[in-house]
Amino acid sequence: MMYRLLGMWLCFSLCSVAHAQSTFDIEGVVLDGHTLKPIKDVNILSKPFFAISNDNGEFKISDVPKGKYTFTISHIAYGQQHLEIEVDGSHRHWVIRLQEAVTNLEGIELSATTDGRKAQELATISVAVSKAYLEGNRENSLMQTLKKIPGVSTISIGSGQSKPVIRGLGFNRVSVVQNGVKHEAQQWGNDHGLEIDQYGIENVHIIKGPASLLYGSDAISGVVDIEPPSVPIPHTFEGEVNLLGETNNDLLGVSTGVQGRKETWFYRGRLTLRDYGDYKVPTDEIRYESYIFDLNDNHLRNTAGQEANVSFSLGYLRDDIKSETFFSNVFAKNGFFANAHGLEVRTSAIDYDGSSRDVDLPFHQVNHFKVVNNTTFFKDKHIVQLDFGFQNNQREEHSEPVPHGYMPKPADSRERIFSKNTLSLNAKTTYKPNEAHSFVFGLNGEMQNNNIGGWGFLIPEYERYNVGVYVFDHYKLNTNFHLQGGIRYDWGHMDTQGYRDWFPSTVNNADGTTSYVYMQRSQERSMDFNSVNGSVGLSYHSSKTTYKLNLGKSFRMPLPNELASDGVNYHMYRYEKGNIDLDPEQSYQIDADIEHKGGAYRIGVSPFLNFFGNFIYLNPTSGYNESLQVYEYVQSKVVRYGGELSAGVDLNASLSADASLEYVYSRQTSGPKKNFTLPFSPPLSALFSVNYRFNDLGFLTEPSLNADLRVTAEQNKIVPPEERTDGYQVLNLSATAKLNLPGFERPTRLRVKLNNVFHTEYYDHTSFYRLIDVPEAGRNISLSITIPF
Amino acid sequence: MKSIKYVFLSALCLLFLASCSNGDDTDVDDEKPSISLVGGFPQSCSELKRGETYVFKALVSDNVGLASYSLNVHHNFDHHTHDDQGVECVLSAKKEAENPMIFMENYAIGSNKTSYEITIELTIPQDVDTGDYHCSYSVTDVTGWQGRTAVDVKIVE
Repeated sequence: MMYRLLGMWLCFSLCSVAHAQSTFDIEGVVLDGHTLKPIKDVNILSKPFFAISNDNGEFKISDVPKGKYTFTISHIAYGQQHLEIEVDGSHRHWVIRLQEAVTNLEGIELSATTDGRKAQELATISVAVSKAYLEGNRENSLMQTLKKIPGVSTISIGSGQSKPVIRGLGFNRVSVVQNGVKHEAQQWGNDHGLEIDQYGIENVHIIKGPASLLYGSDAISGVVDIEPPSVPIPHTFEGEVNLLGETNNDLLGVSTGVQGRKETWFYRGRLTLRDYGDYKVPTDEIRYESYIFDLNDNHLRNTAGQEANVSFSLGYLRDDIKSETFFSNVFAKNGFFANAHGLEVRTSAIDYDGSSRDVDLPFHQVNHFKVVNNTTFFKDKHIVQLDFGFQNNQREEHSEPVPHGYMPKPADSRERIFSKNTLSLNAKTTYKPNEAHSFVFGLNGEMQNNNIGGWGFLIPEYERYNVGVYVFDHYKLNTNFHLQGGIRYDWGHMDTQGYRDWFPSTVNNADGTTSYVYMQRSQERSMDFNSVNGSVGLSYHSSKTTYKLNLGKSFRMPLPNELASDGVNYHMYRYEKGNIDLDPEQSYQIDADIEHKGGAYRIGVSPFLNFFGNFIYLNPTSGYNESLQVYEYVQSKVVRYGGELSAGVDLNASLSADASLEYVYSRQTSGPKKNFTLPFSPPLSALFSVNYRFNDLGFLTEPSLNADLRVTAEQNKIVPPEERTDGYQVLNLSATAKLNLPGFERPTRLRVKLNNVFHTEYYDHTSFYRLIDVPEAGRNISLSITIPF
Repeated sequence: MKSIKYVFLSALCLLFLASCSNGDDTDVDDEKPSISLVGGFPQSCSELKRGETYVFKALVSDNVGLASYSLNVHHNFDHHTHDDQGVECVLSAKKEAENPMIFMENYAIGSNKTSYEITIELTIPQDVDTGDYHCSYSVTDVTGWQGRTAVDVKIVE
């Protein structure tokens, strides 16, 4: 457990209604003394009286006779405390504040099996990320912020966009869930980034390992589960404004959020705006293959962008029901590096260097609209949870129209348009027949419809339906020893639409004649899939050590482009050929985890071993179609192993040091690339952090300084068409402090960050721009101010 | 419950053992084939006459075995791209294409040769648009690596 209990104190909130009766009801709420957020799953026990705090930290014990009691208040994360109270009817509503003091790893808290929601129901290895961590480590996108967590990396394109990679796998092998509903966009795309506003997120659970049992298709390598924020405390209103400025890409950002609650109704709202210019790299020229692109003032031309996000939610809470409906819209427009569109070198008459803030062609814009409702019913021993979601993802890629092969010059810049609608429904009921067992029965359903437009073809239009049912048992042998296991069945159906080129191609026939054909790029097909998955695991907690072991099978339904594509991807300069006979990908993985926490030190190890029977791999063949290399989707066996090591020590009350190491080895053990690794394999990497907390400096409170040194080895394990990537070391510094402004109840938070202190030129093997030999961003100073009100 | 710890530690050891027992990688081919235009044709800024027949030549090589190659000739009337020969050719004014020459063919090399001279006889049609063109060679090896190079040329009367 990476927590230390500093103190716990009680406030007797005053509710002086006297009762002339012999038994009393005790009600209250358990809050985190630091964040004032409610804590769920706290046990409040004085035999025979017993309660567990709900999602809102609230608890109620009925019919307690007058007298003195010693209550044991315990929580896996906050430890155990005893509390003497006198029940005489004079105090009925309690506010219990639990304090966790030093949160190590700068706020990353290793979650325990009973803390939190779905992630804990599994014995899978998970990391809980708090709002404090997100604020203290904020980078330009959510996934870049989470990159410091061992085992988590990103595939980035430019300064504003990235998508998750967990232990070397990304794209559709990591599931992103927000407010209980799987985020559905064009996540298979190379230049896609996650369309989620990183402000306003309170808790993220990262599961490392197979999690299809509860999360369905795609949760093969892990899950990024963005949990719904906790319900505000009754009769409160609060808000915050965050201002951000950065020097490297001249970013200006503002995000403001409010939330409030009456008795039963509550609401939240947030608006985020960001505008940034071209980012700067520590080089004057980019050398890609034998091309040389001169950069103007180190600016990676046309990588500027804008982002505008708005969200609102309305919720209702009573003893027996909790319901919240979230509306959100995320809009982003980002330019792509102008000298190469994808892998294709381009010249243009556009004056890119005239302004570093405008977005010219090529660019993409994406709008993600989402409505999600979470409703939970509480009735005796039953809990029923329903999640309903609708999402529309509209993504447009624009580029200068140029002729390609037999394609004449298109009329406009609309290269590819995707419009995808997804309806999701999750139902889950928890039944606790006794203290030991907790059964969960669940159902996930999803309907997708994908439409395409524009002059470039990549994936066909399709409709997809899938349904999964599962049962899961959490068996508590005793307080410290838990067994978990479950099984799931999924069925899916997909209809792909045919597609023909809008221009004729010249075909030389065998008999010497020539035909002009509108080539068919995808077939109209109808396919069914099914898969049985499951997992078993155990967790054991001793006083200082937690042990976990988990064995799971996960799956992924093939994507329509993997099944049905048959055409040119000029962006990647290749001809892609789908395979209609692909089976759902099946992955088996065993995970172990040991976390030990002594007095001032902590150490953890989490190895994994993973086997794919039929990994879907886009294989570069030796053949050509016209004059482009043919890439074919094949299935091969893959073995992967690796893990994370972490250690930390608090040298004294103000100085702490942490180190972590992450490693993944992948190898294809069958198929055309036998013995090769997988694409985008992250290299061995270590992160060393030192944190020093100063004494209060005048009006600055809790000032602290953090230094992070990232040391990454070279990546020599590559697969065509990748290049080897050298190792690198990068130093980042950040300083945070609080400032008590007069007239404000809560302190203003300041953060100054210096990224890439030495302006090091280095390449990230898993960055999209690595493919065209573009280094990572140069030195950056950013200043962030968060003013709560 | 002490035994649990031992079960765990053994499981961990097993995982590590499993990890290490794979041994060294079997050698994989991680080299791209290369294309040399030294003594080849066309050279940067070459002028090709309509109606004439030329022999396009390039030398390709690979460490393991060559598989196939392609030649692509397309117009650059809009100046959308440039070659990688390190020579700046003077481009004609931009213009719209009417009947541009398009040549896209691929050929197998076969029998795992490690070096090969590409020779493609190509007649420039009499009726195609004159102007700036781009001529690109690419070659694959048996593993699936690809090498590419491109040359700026002009088609003239």
